[in-house]
Amino acid sequence: MVAVNDVSFSVEQGEIFGFLGPNGAGKSTTMMIFTTLLKPTSGQAIIAGFDVTKDAKHVRENIGFVQQETAVDEYLTGRENLILQAKLNHIPKKEINKRIDEIMDLIELTDKQHQAVVTYSGGMRKRLDIAGGLLHHPKVLFLDEPTVGLDIQTRRKIWQYIKKIHIEFEMTIFVTTHYMEEADSLCDRIGIIDGGKIQVIDTPQNMKNALGNEIISLVVENNDNHNSFLVELKKIEFIKKINEDDSKLILFTSNGTEVIPKIFQISSNLGIKITSISLTQPTLDDVFISYTGHEIRDDKSKFNRKIEHAKMKRMRA
Amino acid sequence: MNSVIYDTYTIFWRELKRYKKSRSGVLIRLIQPAIWIIVVGNIFSETQPLIQSVGFEGEYIEFMAPGVIILTAIFTSIFGGVNTLWDRRYGFMNKALTSPISRSAIALGKMSAISLIAALQASLIIGIALAIGVTFPNPLMIIPIMGIVILFSLGFSGISVTLAATSKSQETFWGMINFLGIPLFMLSPALFPLELLPDWLAAVAKLNPVTYTVLLVRELMTGVSEGGVPVLISIGIIFAFVIAMVAIASYVFTREVNKPF
Repeated sequence: MVAVNDVSFSVEQGEIFGFLGPNGAGKSTTMMIFTTLLKPTSGQAIIAGFDVTKDAKHVRENIGFVQQETAVDEYLTGRENLILQAKLNHIPKKEINKRIDEIMDLIELTDKQHQAVVTYSGGMRKRLDIAGGLLHHPKVLFLDEPTVGLDIQTRRKIWQYIKKIHIEFEMTIFVTTHYMEEADSLCDRIGIIDGGKIQVIDTPQNMKNALGNEIISLVVENNDNHNSFLVELKKIEFIKKINEDDSKLILFTSNGTEVIPKIFQISSNLGIKITSISLTQPTLDDVFISYTGHEIRDDKSKFNRKIEHAKMKRMRA
Repeated sequence: MNSVIYDTYTIFWRELKRYKKSRSGVLIRLIQPAIWIIVVGNIFSETQPLIQSVGFEGEYIEFMAPGVIILTAIFTSIFGGVNTLWDRRYGFMNKALTSPISRSAIALGKMSAISLIAALQASLIIGIALAIGVTFPNPLMIIPIMGIVILFSLGFSGISVTLAATSKSQETFWGMINFLGIPLFMLSPALFPLELLPDWLAAVAKLNPVTYTVLLVRELMTGVSEGGVPVLISIGIIFAFVIAMVAIASYVFTREVNKPF
């Protein structure tokens, strides 16, 4: 059972690196290897200068890990949760209180710190969880889908916190997500993983630029001339790439306003009926589709219950 | 070494915090042994002649009180490991595993917390026993009794942590606990003297560490020695049992948590 295969990349010190991919793409598995929870069957991973298999203890001293599912102790108060985290990570005794005061202030939970976590909202728990991961000022902070299941305001707030701590503590942050806008607004660089393989690594802006600066999507009625329609479209010089999804065509292009009249001309020549057409700016969603050929969600056609089940078992943590 | 002690204490601290915050848990854990001592103690009160036949002069309830103290210790500690499963399910375990503390410190911290909690529960049962009229010839004996209960519970918490670390589901864990708990309790002189058991059952009971703990606690509590086992031998057997269980638990826990759950 191979969950990830041939994943090679390096993350620069001090950057926020986004790891993007659909569910089951191998994000969590990769994360578990980096955080020493899983031993890779082959290959090598160096975190903060230490090898995850040969020198796991040193890796653990230098990382913080915030899991996808919020892992705070509901019985304990917010402050007790952080005290526990501080002790687990060997923060010197006399510094513990100062660090916790600082971080409570940063995550704006100072006035709630003596209440049991069971009374906290989902967003507050997540903030507490993230605070626990960076209390000991790790060199690398791993965030596994930090905003999954949160409402949009809370999500934005979490992004602000992540940016704030990134500036404040100058740590390298490795974040997995399947929210494109999150990756776009947060990350310095992004790696897209799909089917256990890295598809591309670049800055979000470069990725979008590579597609041309505009996207034309059109829905056409199928007809015998469909293939010659595609051939003619490809001849338009501004069009960089064409993706086809049933009757929907997505054209990555520049100078969109000049391209649209040409499309109409070709379609009327070939007798093809265009039902709708739109011109948009590319988003990371489009980048994702252009690299993986499908949208960022479970690909139903390839859904294999047995394989998925085995994957879930491995990843459940 | 220093850091192992510090890390063990960290986990111990967390487990006790959780225990302190679950007041209902404290009570629920008392129900079963309270029923044993009050109900069973009175149901069997007519068996006093049987008990006297092996040289025990007091009431039946005084004979079985040490048994119920040990029952409390057995069940509190053998159930205690279940939060290992919750911790793995809800991510706390991963937090501990990605921090620099050693795996065996996690197991040791859990075991020491469980054994202290078991002893606290047992001391509440001693309180109930006193309240319903069980007397101690020498009240100072409570101190060594508590010492033995803590030690004994440490051994059983080892069994619990071992089972919890190897179980993938709650069902497996509870199945195994039920399979072990009641037989280990019944196959001991907790309710009736060994002398009254058929020979083959008495022989089996002699392999059970619970037997020696019950004999020891009863001797300390009532001053009557039975079964013909010297105190030092009993203490030696309990120590050996505890050391073996703690070692097995640390080893199995360390091995199992490195596998994906």
